[in-house]
Parts: sequence; structure tokens; C-alpha cells
Amino acid sequence: MNTLYLAAAVVLLLTMVLGLARVFWQTSRADSLLAAILFGTTGVALVLLLGAGLGLSGAVDMALVFALLAAVLGVAFVLRGWPDGDSKEKREP
Amino acid sequence: MDREIAMMSHVFDWILVLLVLALAWRSLNDCDLFRGVIQFIALGLLLAVAWLRLRAPDVALAEAAVGSGLTGALILSALVRMRQRERRGVPASASSDTSRTLQSGTSNRSRVLIGALSLALLTALGWAVFRFSAQSSGLAVESLAKLPESGVTNPVTAVLLNFRAYDTLLEIGVLLLAIVGVWALRRGERPGDDLRERPLLMSLLRLLLPVLVLAAGYLLWIGASAPGGAFQGGALLAGALVLGLLAGLAGRFLRRERLLRTGLTLGVLVFAAAGLLALWRTGGLLQYPAGQGGAWILVIEAAALISIGLTLGLLYLGGRPEEEK
Repeated sequence: MNTLYLAAAVVLLLTMVLGLARVFWQTSRADSLLAAILFGTTGVALVLLLGAGLGLSGAVDMALVFALLAAVLGVAFVLRGWPDGDSKEKREP
Repeated sequence: MDREIAMMSHVFDWILVLLVLALAWRSLNDCDLFRGVIQFIALGLLLAVAWLRLRAPDVALAEAAVGSGLTGALILSALVRMRQRERRGVPASASSDTSRTLQSGTSNRSRVLIGALSLALLTALGWAVFRFSAQSSGLAVESLAKLPESGVTNPVTAVLLNFRAYDTLLEIGVLLLAIVGVWALRRGERPGDDLRERPLLMSLLRLLLPVLVLAAGYLLWIGASAPGGAFQGGALLAGALVLGLLAGLAGRFLRRERLLRTGLTLGVLVFAAAGLLALWRTGGLLQYPAGQGGAWILVIEAAALISIGLTLGLLYLGGRPEEEK
């Protein structure tokens, strides 16, 4: 079972590699913003899998912190970090 | 089965290490600063995963809370502020004396000098670490042996708030100095527009804010027996404050400056008072009375939690809150 957890963690890490490759070589900022938000979600899953695979009890708390702060960052990105935010009023977050 | 696990761990470690190195390089060198910020946040996330992989959950939690989440939000707000200034026609490099000095300071010669100094420091530190005896366990054995006397069961909390509480007291003092410095330098910008008419954001905040505060308290409480504590909890509290600032809900709160100041200094004051009280009771600074360590630590950490949360959250404003007009 532990092997399965770790294998899943490796797969998740690989999806992050793909996402980052996209951030490295693309131009649209909306894409990189979505990638960043997605990394938060992947990070939560990664931490949980790693914790289960290695038998670390603290991982669940860490995943909680990740999930909460990813939400804060997501809001910060959408409200403040949106590229060329002149027409801020017209969008719904 | 064991071989499979070992192999999987190896594959995982290699991808992780390469990713961390690539991200560290890119987040410093990307010509697009916005993308740099995103890569920096991803870097913090992966570093936290790496600490977890090294079985250091305490460091991992601190990195996840402060290093990735909050610092990311701080850098992002700095970037936005820079953009706004550029749009108003003030070139970023000429906006203040400090940045001008920084700009001219990075000529080629000083770059070489800074590089050489950093390399020398790295060599010296590396040499110092290299000379450690491989068998030595440092003070770990000693502090683990004394753990029952500390009043908590998490060795990291025992060291931070009992055996070496002096260091933590000064650390909280450093945080206070940071916010005093930022407040002295400039006025913060007006907190975000009132976004109360945005239903989606508001329903998210209605859920998220209480959970953030609750989780901060939870981390403080479990810090006695598991990874957690005032700094990690404070980061979550700061996250709640940042959300409030972003949504424009914190305006009235920001105007009560005396309340803010009390909150900011509470951690240092309570910590110092506890130290003096302990000095009077037991004759040693921050040497808690026998058998009461747990309670003392909880009170100090609760005060520190409020101060840390307020400090980190208010740093997001980038200056002293504006006075009411």
C-alpha cells in the first residue's frame, strides 16, 4: 500500500513538472496564475500522500495549513495580482 | 516490497531536488516578475514537501505557513504596488533614494565582491559543518532526557519555549522591530475597496475566516505535543487578516490604532513579564516553576500568537494604517 501512495506522489510531482514547464515557456499570465492555484491543490494531495506513504502523522496538519493558505493566496492573486488590473471593477472574483 | 519503496523514494527525491533547483534559478532570473512570484511560491511549497520528506515536520509546517503562503502574498503585494507606481509615472528606480542606491550599487565590480564574500561565507560555514563529528548527536540526547521536565511533549516546542526560551523572546522582539520599522518609514495604502457586493468572495470569506482563526488556535494547542505552535498559528491568523484587508472589511479595525499597538506588543510584553515573574519565583530568568511549564508556555504562546498574526498581517499593508479623515 505504501508503494502505491509513493507512486501516486511521484505521479503528482510529475504533473507539477508539466505545469511548471507550461509556466516556464508560455506567455499568458492567466495560465500561470491558474497553474499557481492548481499547485496549491496538488501540494495538499502531495503532502497527504507523502505523509501516508512514510507514516508521518504531522502531514495532515500540514495539508490543512497548505489548503487554508492556498485559498488566501488564491484570493490575493485574483484581487490584486490580476495582470493589468485597471478594469478591476468589471470582474467578479 | 521494501525495494520498491526505496526505488519510488529515490525517483521522488530526484524529481523533487531537480524541481527545487530549477525553480530557485527561475524565480530569481525570470524576466517577468509576475511569473517569478508564482515560481517563488511553488518553490516554497516544494521546499516544505522536501522538509517533510526529510522527516522534519516542524520545519515543514513553518515553511508551508510562513515561507510559501504569507511571503508569497507579501511579494505579490510589493509587485502590485510597484506596478501602480510605474503606472502613475514614477520610474521604479527613481522612486526613492534607497532603490537608487541599490541600483547603482550593483555595478559589475560590487557584484563580484558580493559574490566573493558570499562564497567565502559559504565555504566557512560548510567547513564548520564538515568538521562536525559524524557520531555526535549534539544536544539532542540531553534535551530529550530533560523533556518530561519541560511541561510539553513536543521536543521542538520544549527547546523553543523552555530550554532556549530566551532566543524565542528575542525573535518575537525582532518581529516587533520589523513592524515598527515599516510603520516609521511610510503610510500604508488604503486597504482594498469594499468588496461587500461581490457575493462569491463574501460567501468564501464567511467560511474561510472562521476556519482560519480556528485552525490558528488548533495549531497553538497541539504545539505542546505535535508540530505546531505560535508561529505557524500566527501565520494562519495573518492569512485571515490579509483576507480581511483584501476584501476591505478591516477598515474600522485598522483605525483603532491603540488596539493595534497593544496587540502588536502583547507577545513581547507577556513574554518579558513571564520571564521576570519566573525570575522572582525561581531565581532564574524564564526558568518556569517546576511542574508548571506547560501552562506558562501556553500563556506565552497565546500572547505571541496574537502579536505574530497581527505583525505578519499588518506588514501586508506596507506601512502604518492611514488615519481617519
